[in-house]
Amino acid sequence: MSKKIYIVDDNENKNYKYNIKEDTDIYHFSINSSCEVEIDLEKEGVCLNYFYNNINYDDNKFSIKVNHLKSNTHSELYNHGVNVFCNKLMYYVDGVVLKNSSKCICNQDNQIINMDNGKSTICPNLLIDNYDVDSNHAAYIGKFKDEYMFYLMSRGISREEAYRLLLHGFLINSEKIEKDKIELFLNEIEKI
Amino acid sequence: MLEINNLNAKVKDKDIEILKDFSLKINKSEVHAIMGPNGTGKSTLAKVLMGHYGYETTSGDINFFGENINSLEVNERAKRGIFLCMQDPTVIEGVSNSEFLRTAKGEIIGEKVNLYSFIKDMESAMKSVNLDSSMLHRSLNHGFSGGEKKKNEVLQLKVLKPKFIILDELDSGLDVDSLRIVCENINAYIEENPETSILIITHYPRILEYIKPDYVHVMVDGKIQKTGTIDLAFEVEKDGYVGIGSGVNE
Repeated sequence: MSKKIYIVDDNENKNYKYNIKEDTDIYHFSINSSCEVEIDLEKEGVCLNYFYNNINYDDNKFSIKVNHLKSNTHSELYNHGVNVFCNKLMYYVDGVVLKNSSKCICNQDNQIINMDNGKSTICPNLLIDNYDVDSNHAAYIGKFKDEYMFYLMSRGISREEAYRLLLHGFLINSEKIEKDKIELFLNEIEKI
Repeated sequence: MLEINNLNAKVKDKDIEILKDFSLKINKSEVHAIMGPNGTGKSTLAKVLMGHYGYETTSGDINFFGENINSLEVNERAKRGIFLCMQDPTVIEGVSNSEFLRTAKGEIIGEKVNLYSFIKDMESAMKSVNLDSSMLHRSLNHGFSGGEKKKNEVLQLKVLKPKFIILDELDSGLDVDSLRIVCENINAYIEENPETSILIITHYPRILEYIKPDYVHVMVDGKIQKTGTIDLAFEVEKDGYVGIGSGVNE
């Protein structure tokens, strides 16, 4: 059973620092906020799942750095953002594996949906000083795919409802999320 | 029910004409099948009927129950009763099957669907198509096998109750048993809703042994070149499309 941490940032700039010594799932929801996150995986074998979900209206930046300080540590980062207007949204995502940290898994999946013509940037960095690491990264910036809209609408769902379903699916990207802990964020999705 | 008159359609933003003066009339309760070589426009026809974003109708009419639907949005066509059972159903991660189907049903019937009764109804519907009920809570088609995706399509049509069903290569990716289950469900649906019409797009006559067509059409180069009974399908399987394509309808 992993430890669960919920964070909801609402129009604020914050820094977070975590020292992870047990398996942890962090659900980080952000409304129009910038923040810097640094995480040290300090105990051998610990697993971190980090879900960052962000609704953006102004120019904002999110940076996260995960340091694999011990062997057999595992990190999975899922960073999803919706850039609503024509603003700048930047993600800097670093996974760091030290030379003496062997057999680590270090993965990241980053996606930003531009609802308008926002200028979004994702900088995924895997800084790995070891030969036995399992590591992947993915980055996508764009609109919801046309084929998604077609499929949903072909079942009678209006364009507006289809967007609502897609936004919910994109921003509430884990079935384990306890909805009552993020009401503010859920309400914000309805306003997009 | 459906009347297509001299329909011409092309790939959007390109000068690639695919449907060329295509005409077809489908009455209530009729089952039609379209066969044809690869690239002849069969799947394009299905997509154009549904209002796919990738194609543009350049001339001709699509009339559904007497209404011209050329300019209708995709969801409005679905609400009129057209259902496209897709060849390769789209995977949408994050959107649960249940939320999707409940929303779709609500839009079709014009009122919110109670979650509890919906889940109960779904359990028996899923059983009938041999889908595990846990799949209702998974992301839409995510991690589904080819067969499970097709069964999920049939599940959707059972829930949404369309008047006109387009089966675009339903048999692709289905093993013999799955094809039988899927076709039995479609036949049961027709029995319950006898005015429903079906357009089957296929390469093989196997599916036509389960869902018996009233008419079989052979489509070549963007239009129907020959029309017959199920015997035409077996003829095509035996001899191929050689000799068909003169532009003469039987």
